[in-house]
Amino acid sequence: MKGALLLGVALFTGAQDTQQAVRFIACPVYRDTDNGRKSGCWLASDPATGIRYDVTAAPTKPDWNHAVLIEGMVAKDGGDPCGGTVIEPARVSVLEAPCTRHLIKDEGYKGRKFALPARNVRPLYDVRKLPEKPFAEGRFTIPFGYRSSFITYQIADYYLDATINYALDVQPARIEIAGVAQTVPERVSGQEIVEDAALARTRADVVRRALIIRGIAPERVRIVETLPGPFVAGAFDGLRWPAARRVDVRILPDAGGR
Amino acid sequence: MIRGLAFAGATLAFAAAVAFAQGEDKKDRWWDPGEGRVFPASLDYRNANGTLRLLLDNGPMDTKGHPFFTAIGPNGRACVTCHQPADAMSLSAESAQRQWTRRGAQDPLFAASDGSNCPSLPQGERASHSLLLDHGLIRIARPWPPRDVKPDFTIEVVRDPSTCNLDAKHGIAGAGMVSVFRRPRPVANFKYIEAMGFAYDPKSGMPLPVDPATGKPVSGNLMADGRVLSLEAQMRDAASAHLGFLKNLDKRDIERIIDFERRIYAAQQVDAKGGALDADGSMGGTKTLQVSAAGRLGSDGGIPVWSEFEAWEKTPVAAKAKLSPEVRAFRDSVARGARVFRDKTFLITDSAGINSPIGFGNPVRNSCVFCHNMSFMGMDVAPGQVDLGTTNQPFADPAPHLPLFRITCTGKPHPHYGRTILTSDPGYALTTGKCADVGRITLQSLRGMSARAPYFSNGSAKDLRGVIDYYERRYNIGYTEQEKQDLVNLMRAL
Repeated sequence: MKGALLLGVALFTGAQDTQQAVRFIACPVYRDTDNGRKSGCWLASDPATGIRYDVTAAPTKPDWNHAVLIEGMVAKDGGDPCGGTVIEPARVSVLEAPCTRHLIKDEGYKGRKFALPARNVRPLYDVRKLPEKPFAEGRFTIPFGYRSSFITYQIADYYLDATINYALDVQPARIEIAGVAQTVPERVSGQEIVEDAALARTRADVVRRALIIRGIAPERVRIVETLPGPFVAGAFDGLRWPAARRVDVRILPDAGGR
Repeated sequence: MIRGLAFAGATLAFAAAVAFAQGEDKKDRWWDPGEGRVFPASLDYRNANGTLRLLLDNGPMDTKGHPFFTAIGPNGRACVTCHQPADAMSLSAESAQRQWTRRGAQDPLFAASDGSNCPSLPQGERASHSLLLDHGLIRIARPWPPRDVKPDFTIEVVRDPSTCNLDAKHGIAGAGMVSVFRRPRPVANFKYIEAMGFAYDPKSGMPLPVDPATGKPVSGNLMADGRVLSLEAQMRDAASAHLGFLKNLDKRDIERIIDFERRIYAAQQVDAKGGALDADGSMGGTKTLQVSAAGRLGSDGGIPVWSEFEAWEKTPVAAKAKLSPEVRAFRDSVARGARVFRDKTFLITDSAGINSPIGFGNPVRNSCVFCHNMSFMGMDVAPGQVDLGTTNQPFADPAPHLPLFRITCTGKPHPHYGRTILTSDPGYALTTGKCADVGRITLQSLRGMSARAPYFSNGSAKDLRGVIDYYERRYNIGYTEQEKQDLVNLMRAL
């Protein structure tokens, strides 16, 4: 477990710099490729270039009634299952701006057959492997969507669960939580993208509350401004932009547990 | 040869099952409070589709003086009044009508507080109890605004044929109460209803809710609007709201009621057309529920939902030939229905609790089993509340008999309806005070359905076909006529 944690806490390597990075805002289009459950395709065209991208690989999917912020990298060998240039890894944030909903037919595209993502929370009836003593300092990062403090399914919940499980397993421990928001304005597709600084605290509060609900004593959990050292880059699949929207957690087992 | 003998025995088993069903409890199918009957370990009741079986762990149990079966409040009602064994521990509209015919307003079922459209109405008249008699609906009065919550929406009454929301004494302005009308949920199979498959509720993005009384997590699958989190809290809520019992139940009473509720299982056991639902390798019927592990996801750790009937897909041709055409056709249909339930995908759109805020996308292609995913039970392991549109316009079936409310979101608009919503029941939003939760209702158990029409929380589907027709219309699924019939047969076999 100690080894796994150390692997998880890697310096941000900037994989985004080695592949073609894409970031834009657009109205999503749903292509109804009927290839079983969760098989539909999500497409979005970059208004600057007109290129239609396939953003289906994003763990969080679009809402056809709302604009989306797309962030990702053009896949090297993504094929063309949906009728768009594949972005993978990809992140989708659903924005408040309304869109006219669009559904198009499969037009011969097969989409992708659903496979359970690797990042899925395991049921309580699964036997979980516990960490071995001496317990190491645990570092965890929980990603969030743009302007959101919601723990999304099969991405944020996976990292939250890993955080909580470790916190429960190595008690007694001190837990420090630092929220991060994207407070530096940037322009994307002609729009300013920036988050309120208070969102960092809101995100940290959400994670703190979740830890307490799962049984961590409130006095053991402290929200701090920042945490030293790197965050867990794996939560962003090498993407730099979404990494500005996260919560970092440090779990420090008491000396007796080490 | 052995197979041949085994299936030759199938016909005998069918006859035996029917004979057993005919040997059902000879006492009146209606349980009055305080009768003092013995609740047997196994109890069968006929219904239009066959026979329901109730199994009681460690039964029989003497109900004399038992608080579930005894009127403990001044209105003469007991828990059993609205949770009748013959109705799969719920209450069918048919049973309510029978009681009205027998005793009229004198039956405690029709207590003014919630067994009538409004306590202010003349209680001797049938019209004052029309929602219970015609739709199986009990009045649920919820405080408005919710206690300890600042809501992000306002609520106005557009119309109210029940009269209660505009009533000077009981209405929103007078009593600060919103009256909605809902079906009693079955008090059975709680091993499944209380089971926690995961530590999180993806619909709220947080760990499972914690019961304030115990500090322990709970499944979140109790009550249509999730207003209480534990059986104990539900009991206290029901005792004051439905039994007219003003004092708290004592500790011993609560323990005895919970003990009974956690021991009782209900499911359809015999089908009038298809015979025993656990025949020839099938695992239908109540026993499977009683002995199986609860809270398992059908696609991960459990058995695929409704694969109990898979054995009927594999019946050898020669053995099938020995069954009557009617039995054969029914079994084939149920097995197909299970497949349709799991495998027929459609676009799920604009349904809060699914399409928002989890991250599945809107729309998302999936099947019935997306939400009804718990092995043996068809509840949501996840768990939580979903807006199918059964109470919200434009999706809800016309319901001129129900109150209609106008919800105006004062903060963020609803993710799928916008700023203004017309609804006959805001559902979960009456608990959370959140506009985004308007119309979200806790998923229901799918067991014992043949015994407890009508369906959906507001009784909008008068029969099982009505359930399928609603889904077909709401999600434009494209079921064939055969698929619809197969799904109806599946549901009547649960």
